[in-house]
Amino acid sequence: MFKLLLAGDGGQGIQLLSNIICESAFEKGLEVTHIPNYGLEQRGGVSLAYIKIDNKKIPYPKFTTPDLMLVMSDQARGRVENHLGEGQEVLDIKDFKEKLDNENIVLRSWNIFFLGAILKRLDSEGLIDMDFAKKYLENKLSSKLGWEDNLKAFEFGFKS
Amino acid sequence: MISNPAKFCPGCGHPIVLMMLEKVLEDMGLKDQAILGLDIGCSLLAWNYLPINTFQTHHGRVTPTMVGYKRAKKDSVVVGYTGDGGAYAIGLQNLLHAAKRDEPIIILAVNNTVYAMTGGQTAPTTLKDQKTSTNPNGVEQEPFFGPELLKTVVHPDAFVARTIVNDPKTCQEYIKKAIETQKAGHFSFVEFLSMCPTAWKTKGADTMKFLEDMKMVFKLGELK
Amino acid sequence: MKNNKKFITGAEVAVQACIDAGAEIMYGYPITPGTEVFTGWINRGKDYLQTEDEIAAGFSVCGAVIAGQKSFTATAGPGHTLMQDGFSMAEGMRLPFVEIIAQRGGPSSGTVIYSQQEVTLACLGGNGEGMRIVYSPSSLEEVYLYTRLSFNYAWKYRFPSILLTDGYMLKTRGVVNFEKFKDLKNIDSYPLIKEGEIKHWRNIYTFEEELYEELQNQKKDFEKVRDEIAESEEVEVNDAEVIIIAHGLVAGACKQAVEELRSEDKKVGLWRPITLRPLDSKSLNKVVKGKQKILFIESSMGQLARLVKDELDPELSIKIEYLEKPALGIEVSEIKEFITKNI
Repeated sequence: MFKLLLAGDGGQGIQLLSNIICESAFEKGLEVTHIPNYGLEQRGGVSLAYIKIDNKKIPYPKFTTPDLMLVMSDQARGRVENHLGEGQEVLDIKDFKEKLDNENIVLRSWNIFFLGAILKRLDSEGLIDMDFAKKYLENKLSSKLGWEDNLKAFEFGFKS
Repeated sequence: MISNPAKFCPGCGHPIVLMMLEKVLEDMGLKDQAILGLDIGCSLLAWNYLPINTFQTHHGRVTPTMVGYKRAKKDSVVVGYTGDGGAYAIGLQNLLHAAKRDEPIIILAVNNTVYAMTGGQTAPTTLKDQKTSTNPNGVEQEPFFGPELLKTVVHPDAFVARTIVNDPKTCQEYIKKAIETQKAGHFSFVEFLSMCPTAWKTKGADTMKFLEDMKMVFKLGELK
Repeated sequence: MKNNKKFITGAEVAVQACIDAGAEIMYGYPITPGTEVFTGWINRGKDYLQTEDEIAAGFSVCGAVIAGQKSFTATAGPGHTLMQDGFSMAEGMRLPFVEIIAQRGGPSSGTVIYSQQEVTLACLGGNGEGMRIVYSPSSLEEVYLYTRLSFNYAWKYRFPSILLTDGYMLKTRGVVNFEKFKDLKNIDSYPLIKEGEIKHWRNIYTFEEELYEELQNQKKDFEKVRDEIAESEEVEVNDAEVIIIAHGLVAGACKQAVEELRSEDKKVGLWRPITLRPLDSKSLNKVVKGKQKILFIESSMGQLARLVKDELDPELSIKIEYLEKPALGIEVSEIKEFITKNI
């Protein structure tokens, strides 16, 4: 069973990432659960996504210690403090900010950068259908503004 | 016509309204299609009164119940029957919104200025200075004008009116018009000024005088 | 969708179940976390009315079912409180009222998120005797199955029925296999009041004896229902020393905990009520007999425990411990820790 926790501010694209990851794992024929968590406000709160992927039925969608955790803002970091644990991989924006700026990855595409990194990890563990994921991303975003930036971010993330 | 002996108090106005309703339905050949919903107040006593399908609901809730019934059985003639409390206090929210949405139901509200079944407490339509068990020194505000309020939210083709139980001709005319309005797909509401000698603690001529005096406060007629 | 499997939310599952059950109209009022059932139903192009409040929604469902139309509502928390007025009338008049309840933190506005704190309200709310059918699903597939059965049994037995779930379940997206339900049949609705007949139907009685008699008849019918539909699940109970009792989503987490502890040779089992009303007391008492301990685990302050203890064999003498986390989700790790402490 693989446990993935995505955390960011509302509007940073956490739910978009969840959708791509989950649909790609489902496409692979695996069991997947996803449960989001927001604050009360319609805008500006913390957005969390708990994702579990397994090859057998998943009885409970939430967890304390993810195997892989994404933290995309300071607000989110505070929120997920008690989810830190041994043996997990943490992708924290504070560790990548400089790199992203240097590579000219625009702010709007940071979530796609992380998506690249996450999908690479999941693919290496046989948890997702990578072709499907790429096609899904293209379907969702290629007709929208900034597709080139997103593509660049994705590839950079995948390589990192 | 009536299936069961009345349990209404002697001198009550409810049997008059109910008889008028039955007569109009009979004349229009609609008794089979009619469904009568009741509030919980003195109106509940009509549960086995007319040879028409009848069921009780909860206090203030006959309007939304009949909304659901009518939407489920569009060819029925749906009548909700209530008192001044069910219409203008606990049930006002539901009544206003059904009126606003132009639900094709009829609500008949019998206004006797008090909560009669529970012993004569203050109602939204209690008159200024009228004494009740919950306002022993007399009510301080003006009463509630239901049809006037409903008029501000209803569809232009809805039917909203007030009449009085000692005018059976108009009572029947308004009930008939309400049914025709329902058939045309619109909301109708008729308030009946009525008497309650039990709660008013009046007898004979005094009861009728009270009723006639109500006309000076609550205007009769169709609200156009 | 892959071979009849879908990756969808609990709310979407509930909506699909209502559609497949043949429900024709939904009356609703938006309230988190149940709103998605309402908007989901509307997005499928089905008939609905957004009422001015939950009271109106409840009574409109009553009116609809009296006329013979399969109808339902969905609500949560404070809306569930208001719904007791209409639901009570359904209980008194034996109306096939179906509702989906998305438990959230309480009392008052609590949280909009999750809890198991509406068990008492669902099972024993209103001013009656709790003669209602209450299902507590512990997976998305059970949300589907027991929503279907809520409609079937409401119309078959004429007791109002509740699919009691929670905010987590409705917003969780998971893999649901609809293939296994393809042969599930519906029980038809029918008008409870018929044109051409004259039915005089009351819910208020003049004398105490009249109501007493009516209630005795209802109780008889309710006990028959218990025999036919009371349901529970037993997991690894036979040689267990301690028995966990949990329901809904928490029971899902408990199942995982039991599996993991069993692989460590800990002798723990789970008894999970699926119907909270009527409770499968026969199975309950068979399972706990001779065991050392009962561990109640729930996201409330003992609402499940109170309900179950009421039906335990009065001769039974057994230790009881409680893991009570009102309004909080309960993780598998916490459950394992609690069990290990008590085994």
